[in-house]
Amino acid sequence: MNNKNMKWAGLVLAGLMLIGLLSGCGSSKETLNIYSWADNFDEEVLKQFEQEFDVKVNYDVFANNEDLLAKIKAGGGGYDLIQPSDYMVATMIKQDLLAPLDMNHIPNFANVSEAYKDPSYDPGNKYSIVYTSGVTGIAYNTKYVKDEIDSWEDLWNPEYKGKVILLDDNREVIGMALKKAGHSNSSTDEGEITAAVDDLKSLLPSVLAFDTDNIKQKMIQEEGWIATVWSGDASYIAQDNPDVAYVVPKEGGTIWSDNYAIPKDSKHKELAEKFINFMLDPEVSAKNYESIGYSDPNTKATEFHSEEYRNDKMINLSEDELSRTEWLGDVGDKLQLYDRFWTELKSGR
Amino acid sequence: MKKSGLSMLPVLLWLCLFLVVPMLIVVGISFMGRDDLGNVVLDFNLDAYALFFDPLYLGIYWDTIVLSVLTTALCLLLSYPLAYYIANAGPRMQTWGLVLITVPFWINFLIRTYAWVLLLRTQGVVNELLLGMGLISEPLQMLYTKGAVLLGMVYTFIPFMVLPIYVALEQMDKKLLEAANDLGATRWRSFWHITLPQTKSGIMTGSVLVYVSTTGMFVVTDILGGAKSAMISNIIQSQYLGARNWPFGSALSVIFVITSLILIALFNRAMTSRYQKVREVRS
Amino acid sequence: MKTKSHPLLGIHSLVMMIFIYVPILFIVAYSFNSSRLAADWSGFTFDWYISLFDNRHVMEALANSLTVAIVSTVISTVLGTLAALAMRKLGRRFKAGMGGLLYLPIIIPDIIMGLSLLVLFNQLNMPLGKITIIIAHITFSLSYVYVVVTTRLSGMGGQLEEAAQDLGASSWQTFRHVTLPQIAPGIISGALIAFTLSLDDFMVSFFVSGPNSTTLPIYIYGQVKRGISPEINALCTILILVTVTLIFLAQFVLNRGKGQKKQSVLPF
Repeated sequence: MNNKNMKWAGLVLAGLMLIGLLSGCGSSKETLNIYSWADNFDEEVLKQFEQEFDVKVNYDVFANNEDLLAKIKAGGGGYDLIQPSDYMVATMIKQDLLAPLDMNHIPNFANVSEAYKDPSYDPGNKYSIVYTSGVTGIAYNTKYVKDEIDSWEDLWNPEYKGKVILLDDNREVIGMALKKAGHSNSSTDEGEITAAVDDLKSLLPSVLAFDTDNIKQKMIQEEGWIATVWSGDASYIAQDNPDVAYVVPKEGGTIWSDNYAIPKDSKHKELAEKFINFMLDPEVSAKNYESIGYSDPNTKATEFHSEEYRNDKMINLSEDELSRTEWLGDVGDKLQLYDRFWTELKSGR
Repeated sequence: MKKSGLSMLPVLLWLCLFLVVPMLIVVGISFMGRDDLGNVVLDFNLDAYALFFDPLYLGIYWDTIVLSVLTTALCLLLSYPLAYYIANAGPRMQTWGLVLITVPFWINFLIRTYAWVLLLRTQGVVNELLLGMGLISEPLQMLYTKGAVLLGMVYTFIPFMVLPIYVALEQMDKKLLEAANDLGATRWRSFWHITLPQTKSGIMTGSVLVYVSTTGMFVVTDILGGAKSAMISNIIQSQYLGARNWPFGSALSVIFVITSLILIALFNRAMTSRYQKVREVRS
Repeated sequence: MKTKSHPLLGIHSLVMMIFIYVPILFIVAYSFNSSRLAADWSGFTFDWYISLFDNRHVMEALANSLTVAIVSTVISTVLGTLAALAMRKLGRRFKAGMGGLLYLPIIIPDIIMGLSLLVLFNQLNMPLGKITIIIAHITFSLSYVYVVVTTRLSGMGGQLEEAAQDLGASSWQTFRHVTLPQIAPGIISGALIAFTLSLDDFMVSFFVSGPNSTTLPIYIYGQVKRGISPEINALCTILILVTVTLIFLAQFVLNRGKGQKKQSVLPF
């Protein structure tokens, strides 16, 4: 680098830093900082909110609940609205990371289906309101799987050797094996857990891969024949590959939800609550969920939804299917045991 | 030139603030306990270190080292001739060579790795090609195997090997080669006795970069290996995130950093002593 | 002096290039695929390129990533080169310690670096954003620059520098006209690695980013849950095209009128 280049580099540097600083404090409008999964909102709905309330919405993304927790816990903040899943809401409440919601600002909470009010992970909805939800069941390709599938036991069928895909999540998979044995998916009984893990070890040779994010592609492309899949993802798969069917096994499955919650150090708490209220408006929510293709817990929104959306059996699960589900509960320090067994399973040791 | 010892100061200050201080926090955490919620609590103990000696974790670390050494060796074998070719091309070709090798890696890592999934899966291009040519009668299961992981690792770290070797080759004293040639040395002999020793520093740097980067990589095992094998960094990751055991995660990191430093020092020593021997013979 | 390479070397290099570029060609091809899924080919389209420019999230993320990568590369290249040069002047003991310290950022697992820096920034009350990401990237990048420049220096004797000084050159002149040209390939290669690492880093950036500083890798990792949009493929295609064109132009402009002596250019 010669003298001229040095100067040039210095100039560029100064310029870029200036841009960085300026963009950091650009508008004087109040800002709502959302931290959520990618593509979790309809863009137009967000714009509508910005216009109606004359505010700016910042939308940043995380990739999984654990990343979110580690970041919030280590003080990575500045966010006003986050979307943790059910068990993560419970954990965050226990760790005192969430601010209680002021329901006076959220009258539209009345629109939420009774089935999702007062959940076990947040009794009385003090800290969270459900955003969307689904159930872990079995997705299978009817081209290759000819038998009737109605039990977790079917994953163990030797005919599907090398074609089984499991979620890459210790609680989901060990919970599934526990359910298969007739226990709670959140058992803290060491004997029950050990037996379930031994059972899973016998399934290992059949497993093609562990995957959470790309299970959809693997099923659409028929790399796998049968898999543990979330209902919402099953709907996504079936749209691209109509041969894929979905069932909630007779032993029951794990139900999950993503929620609205407000971190304790939020500087725009009231605005965040107004946002939740806005999203729970029947018309707004119909538009939003129609666009993102997830289940809508808003009972008043049903009339605004399209025929196609209402008829999707994988988005709107039946009462019967929902009655067989169980939330993942907190297992306390037994989480260490789950983690250890999981490491054993995945490393094949 | 005497002053330039002082130019270490900015770097030293920078590293102290942004590296040493945070690292001390990590070392501190590794000696602490945790409560049921996963919060780190002040309670001095060595439990986290004891846990490492569990055969489960020792085995995983061993697997990690084996895979990393394999990746490094393959990278070296593939990259050296490439770097040699570039370094011996005309100046314009050298620029293009370097750019052409680096630019693909400006594409996001995930995107690149998923492209390999498209190539290797059972309905993928490679299988269709082999089927079409009649070389195989049934699609091969190439994905979600150890081989796929190795391929992904080698692919990811090629530039880390090519660039340092290129840097060393480019400055080599070519007169030595000419002299050897004039004295009737075969190509192979002059490569073995002149080129290779002169580029040791490049091989060293490249190998260390690839080795260390491989041990720290976990996404490749998840995507191309179907998450069916664990690397030490998968474990560190999951201790900090899913398992919420920060002391164990920190202890693993401390062990990991120390063993890596030792391995690098040993490698360094082995390479230098060989280099010196060759030098003595030459003089 | 140019030595002629063995033909086998040429073939090997060609095969390596194919190996490096086959996945890239796929990415380019799929940026024109009309299906949202990276699955079967279902027709040619430009739609992803059009919607890419309407997608404010991608555009913001790209701008953030480039800002971070450029700034952190420049600073870490200067710091790393300084460190490599200063290292030669240090005493033996200090050298060993410093060498170990400079290797640390390369060895430390990303997640540790990210989380521990996050804790530190919190203690220092620094608001999280682009500045904190830049600081983090400089911290790991400068080590890579240092390592590569050192490689270069180790193969270089001090004779030329001494000769220059004996002939009355000031230390700046010696540095500028003797040392710098000799280590330039090392600096450039180091900068290339630094830029590549910065552009690709997810884990460290994730933890030290704040509102409004999402980088491209953070955005892409976030998208994985729902399937990465082909817009990203389109973006990658454009990135490669722009880079190669820029370098080609720079080369062309610099080489005009320079006669025999061909100049070699790289970014930075």
